[in-house]
Amino acid sequence: MDLSRRRFLQAAVLAAATAGATAACGGGGSGSSGSKDSKNLTLWYWSGGLSDKVVADAKKHFSDITLKTSVVGGDFKTKLLTGLRAAQSAPDITGIKGEDIASFLPNANRFVDLKTVGADKLVPEYLSWKLKQATTQDGKLIGFPIDIGPCATFYREDLFAKAGLPTDPAKVSAELATWDDYFKAGVELHKAVPKTFLVNNIGSVFTMVIGQGTRRFIDEDNKFIGDQDHIRTAWTTAVKPYTLGIDAKINDNTWNAAVSGGALGTEIGAAWHALDISNAAPGTKGKWRVASLPGGPSNLGGSFLAIPATSGNPDEAFKIISWILSPENQARGFTDAALFPTAPAAYKLPALTGGDPFFGGQKTIEIFGPAAEKIPAAFEAPADAAVSAPFYSELTSIEAKGKDPEAAWKDAVSQAKQIAQRQGVK
Amino acid sequence: MSSSPVAGPAATGPSSGSDTAPVGRPVPDRPSGGPGRHGRRIRPVSAGARPGPPRRVTRYWPQYLAISPYYLLFSVFMFFPVIYTVYLAFQKWDGIGEMHFVGFQQFRFLWDDPVFWLSVRNTLVIWVLSTVPMLFLALVLAVLVNSTKRFTAFYRVALFIPSITSLVAIAIFFGAIFSNNFGLINAILRSVHVSAVPWMSNEWTIKLVIAALMTWQWTGYNAIIYLAGLQAIPSELYEAARMDGAGPVRIFFSITIPLLRPIILFTVVVSTVTGLQSFTEPQVLFGSEAATNPNSGGPGQAGLTTLLYFYHQAFDNNDFGYGAAIVWAFFLLILLIVLVNWRLVQRKERRP
Repeated sequence: MDLSRRRFLQAAVLAAATAGATAACGGGGSGSSGSKDSKNLTLWYWSGGLSDKVVADAKKHFSDITLKTSVVGGDFKTKLLTGLRAAQSAPDITGIKGEDIASFLPNANRFVDLKTVGADKLVPEYLSWKLKQATTQDGKLIGFPIDIGPCATFYREDLFAKAGLPTDPAKVSAELATWDDYFKAGVELHKAVPKTFLVNNIGSVFTMVIGQGTRRFIDEDNKFIGDQDHIRTAWTTAVKPYTLGIDAKINDNTWNAAVSGGALGTEIGAAWHALDISNAAPGTKGKWRVASLPGGPSNLGGSFLAIPATSGNPDEAFKIISWILSPENQARGFTDAALFPTAPAAYKLPALTGGDPFFGGQKTIEIFGPAAEKIPAAFEAPADAAVSAPFYSELTSIEAKGKDPEAAWKDAVSQAKQIAQRQGVK
Repeated sequence: MSSSPVAGPAATGPSSGSDTAPVGRPVPDRPSGGPGRHGRRIRPVSAGARPGPPRRVTRYWPQYLAISPYYLLFSVFMFFPVIYTVYLAFQKWDGIGEMHFVGFQQFRFLWDDPVFWLSVRNTLVIWVLSTVPMLFLALVLAVLVNSTKRFTAFYRVALFIPSITSLVAIAIFFGAIFSNNFGLINAILRSVHVSAVPWMSNEWTIKLVIAALMTWQWTGYNAIIYLAGLQAIPSELYEAARMDGAGPVRIFFSITIPLLRPIILFTVVVSTVTGLQSFTEPQVLFGSEAATNPNSGGPGQAGLTTLLYFYHQAFDNNDFGYGAAIVWAFFLLILLIVLVNWRLVQRKERRP
């Protein structure tokens, strides 16, 4: 080790300088403390979270602003949490996923109240139940809705015909209006086409039924209500297809194969789920149709754009948000990235009113549009997702181990209570 | 523990000239209860003429500076976070809001949490199911490769490849092979008219699949380590054994195994530490569970390992205090198991 001291020092200084330069580059992205009129704004979203074409046009449209966009991969929420904690690295505009928005509400002070930067004028044009999800109990709006997931029944017209069931979307919607009707049709379908099941798993039924109600697992007074009748009813409804033998019990990554192989006669899911189906089973093009969800409209998913409190220019940031999420651009987002618009005005635009060849040319907006406007506004507590997890786990236990549904219910409730306690719910 | 530093300077005290330290010590030349072997091992290292500690640091500062990046990075990215989790385990914190001190409450929750205990059971079962066949197969493979005369380099590379393959890719691949309805194995079973096995939904087969994955990935790595150990055994011993009329089985158990014991101990400890930390395998295998219930470890939570449960609590539920409590409780458990393993393998060493 005869390293000359001078040579060593040179190397050390060089290394330190490199490290310093790298750090400076990293922090330079949104150097935006102090003044609130920065012309350099950063936007974080995830792949598919916004229409890339609309975002690219936003950069051109706001020519006096340099909009830098990062498509953040991996666990978006965790990265956003880290970014918010170290204010230096927080973006000026960020996406927030629908399932995460509630958990950000207790820290609403980390975000700009969008009503103070111009959202109050736009609020009437957007779906009120969706805005409620991003509104704190004292009325602050922290997120502007990108999209929603109005739910419907996707069904295989050809298999329905084989089983002698109605095939016309309007007729299916009318005759399969309740969950019991839907399950009855499933039994007939399974009898006629033995390899075909009605639902992919019972957790999906549970999700839908919960979404049809106005109350979830925790109420406005921060009380645990997951053991009450509305959840119990959802549970009982979810278990029915299992006991009737029309549950495909798919809880692994074989869903794609099941869809393309005709093992699933129906899929209950959000509007964006159409893309999953067409990606998984391109060979079934033209065989699917869309009907109303049994038991009433429900929502699954749908994200938001928010402005962190550290944003360099909240006013400009909201101008960009409202431009990206204007009804016209939302219609483009629907065509480009299957983002279902949150502004009902968009439902009348040609991008949405056209027929979808995957669904045999059916105008799916006739199902999704009315559903979107009728979705019940539910209160979703910050700990809702955490508290609901045991119910889903226990439903898969029923499917995987044949666990007695009654025992599973008791375990789910006791675990949920425990999580509620840990999360500070009364 | 204090015995070894005392024994070190004490032995070199008279010759080194740094007589300040031993003066305060009552009986410099007594090994003070420490294991004799330990003391002997220290002595030759410190026996050379060396200056006192303060001068040593200043004299070798470029060397210390040269190795400092590792220690700086280690303390920033490893040491500080580890210490910070101790602090976090006594707080309630959602990641960005205010922290609240809650004392031992997180640990009380942990004690009463059936899912935590389920995850510990899952982890232990998966660990046993993977480590035992893995080390056994590795030893067999190493002996086989050691006796080959041709293509040895090829075998070594082949053995090593699984351990450097992306775990996520392996998990996706295994997911496809073991898939219930459309997997390769079930397709083969059906073609020979055996009923398909629901690999990915049964409580036990889920664990088997995860264990098979870990075994597949790490058997070769352990075999390479064993191979290195085998080649360090002098061939005279084998020749002598053969002269005495020992067969291959006798040679294996009377010569190979005893001489390989330190290596076996090493692999047992390392596979205990890594095997108990299974996370990516179940996370990828059962990660497709949509947004409603992510990282729950698959049907019936049969693949929920403790680290996956920790991840779910900390990063899905934003319950960072509880997450910290989980990992610390689990750290103590791993430590306990490593100690037990250590004792088991060590004790056998003394017997012959």
